Amino acid sequence: MIHDSLIRERLVTGDKTAADVTRDIARPILNQPTKSWKIGFTLSLIFLGIFGISLFNTIWTGIGVWNINKTVMWGWDITNFVFWVGIGHAGTLISAVLLLFRQKWRMSINRSAEAMTIFAVVCAAMFPVFHMGRVWVGYWALPLPNAFGSLWVNFNSPLLWDVFAISTYFSVSLLFWYIGLIPDIATIRDKVKTKTAKFWYGFFSMGWTGSTRTWARYELISLILAGLSTPLVLSVHTIVSTDFATSIVPGWHTTIFPPYFVAGAIFSGFGMVATLLVVARKVMNYENYITIGHLEAMTKIIMVTGSIVGIAYLTEFFIAWYSGVEYEQYAFINRATGPYWWAYWSMMSCNLLAPQVFWFKWARTTPWFIFIMSIVVNVGMWFERFVIIVTSLHRDYLPSSWVMYSGSLTEIGLFLGTFGIFFTCFFLFAKYMPVINMAEVKSILRNRE
Amino acid sequence: MGILDKKLSLRNRSKMLVGIWEDEDKLVEATSALVHDGIHIHDIYTPYPVHGLERIIGARRSRLARVAFFCGLTGFILMTTMIWYMYVLDWPVNVGNKPVRFTPSWIPVMFEGTVLCTAYGMGFFFFWRNRLLLGVKNDLLDDRQTDDRMVIAIECVEGMNESDVLNTMKSNGAVELRELNHGVQTTI
Repeated sequence: MIHDSLIRERLVTGDKTAADVTRDIARPILNQPTKSWKIGFTLSLIFLGIFGISLFNTIWTGIGVWNINKTVMWGWDITNFVFWVGIGHAGTLISAVLLLFRQKWRMSINRSAEAMTIFAVVCAAMFPVFHMGRVWVGYWALPLPNAFGSLWVNFNSPLLWDVFAISTYFSVSLLFWYIGLIPDIATIRDKVKTKTAKFWYGFFSMGWTGSTRTWARYELISLILAGLSTPLVLSVHTIVSTDFATSIVPGWHTTIFPPYFVAGAIFSGFGMVATLLVVARKVMNYENYITIGHLEAMTKIIMVTGSIVGIAYLTEFFIAWYSGVEYEQYAFINRATGPYWWAYWSMMSCNLLAPQVFWFKWARTTPWFIFIMSIVVNVGMWFERFVIIVTSLHRDYLPSSWVMYSGSLTEIGLFLGTFGIFFTCFFLFAKYMPVINMAEVKSILRNRE
Repeated sequence: MGILDKKLSLRNRSKMLVGIWEDEDKLVEATSALVHDGIHIHDIYTPYPVHGLERIIGARRSRLARVAFFCGLTGFILMTTMIWYMYVLDWPVNVGNKPVRFTPSWIPVMFEGTVLCTAYGMGFFFFWRNRLLLGVKNDLLDDRQTDDRMVIAIECVEGMNESDVLNTMKSNGAVELRELNHGVQTTI
């Protein structure tokens, strides 16, 4: 039996009606861009420009402009790749896993989290593609007939699994996102006034009318896609972790990597969602939709996943000692006390220690503090990937090949530039698409059980 | 592009009765009352999913799940065949003396291919079944049916007592009643 809940707190505050939801959420789309949007978008374009210059330098001169070398053959590029792929995981996690668990609080945040997934995966894909050097033959990574290359692709290689995993993840996330957007695009279609806007929103709304039969199928496809995306999200970061774990490099050759990487991905992804939503709720006046309750739920997940990641760090250390393999032991001692100690301890403080502050309610319910912490989390997660990649590689089995590595200006520019891609896409998304899923939010206004 | 399937278009229907609601509970009550009176409801349009309505109007359970299964199976077979052809039949590669036939290292690619085919096969079926296509014109009965209003559409058939239907809708919370004749709506 359906009735209004007397116990549960309302997920949308301010006694909103369905018409209020449309009006509030469609406001940025129907009105002229605000000053803060213009400033943010201009800044993003500047970073996009940095990306363009760095990429041009990389392609025109060759990847010799990066500081990677024979010993540290993966540097900032793969660090950035894993960093962005990790961020890309929370979107599908929020949409899919929380949908399967019937967590209705996801409804206010799933749309922007899914958008974040798409944009983050685009940023991530840049790095391995351009690391190939001869990017124009990048299609050789696909299983094409022998005429295109010497042989078929190697199905034993996790790098090939990555090609399939990332492209599948991107495609399925895009479909999931778009199907979820159709009812809202239709709502906007019926609100916009100009002929051009009417045409484009009409085009992408695919003739949606909100028929009961369509809604029933829509809910079923969402559920099945959620059921598919959940193992998909786990598989993708598992596969990314096997890029390292199937090797024999000390510090990489470890079976804990798949769950550890998945937890890290959820951790950093929620960090980025929190960064975006704390700003969005303030700038776009969405406080009634993205409430303190939503932020609190996200901080709890950040704390739990941060602790899982922290336990993984300690377990790695213990297993390195327990294995009795001196190369493994050295790799970990070198991480904590070697020349890159600062990166290791930045990682430990940002990922293991800092999120513990969320045991306190004040920390979980103060937006400006959550914003700062969300950035700390992502700084920590970038360092985690840097530590795994660079500290494991720079001192290998042969001491004569030991080197130090730091990113060149072009590598740094590429990394900063991907923030340009990410935020340019996000600002355009926030201007032209509803950041909150209006249809789903309307269905929870009554706080039904 | 116009309406995808002209036969389904509401504009081409000879006569329809349209009721507008603003409250989902009243909409559900009205739907139940109409179905109880033996009225065939053409469709109901809502701005968000109202659970249970499709069962009340007797809509058939979607076969999307079965489609998903068969698309997944197709993907699985395609990927397995592809790897087997490339890796075993056409050009076996000795990588570190590892076995080439059906090893666990095939699983990631098989899995991803299965998921991709399931998702896109199901997506295609979903769009096709709901007559959703990029550029298709919408067929709205009320401008606010994607905003905050809910619409019940009933096709007039021979022997139907229209005033009874209108009374049932009115007594169950309809805020507006209209008649649709070949695409032209008039308020009753």
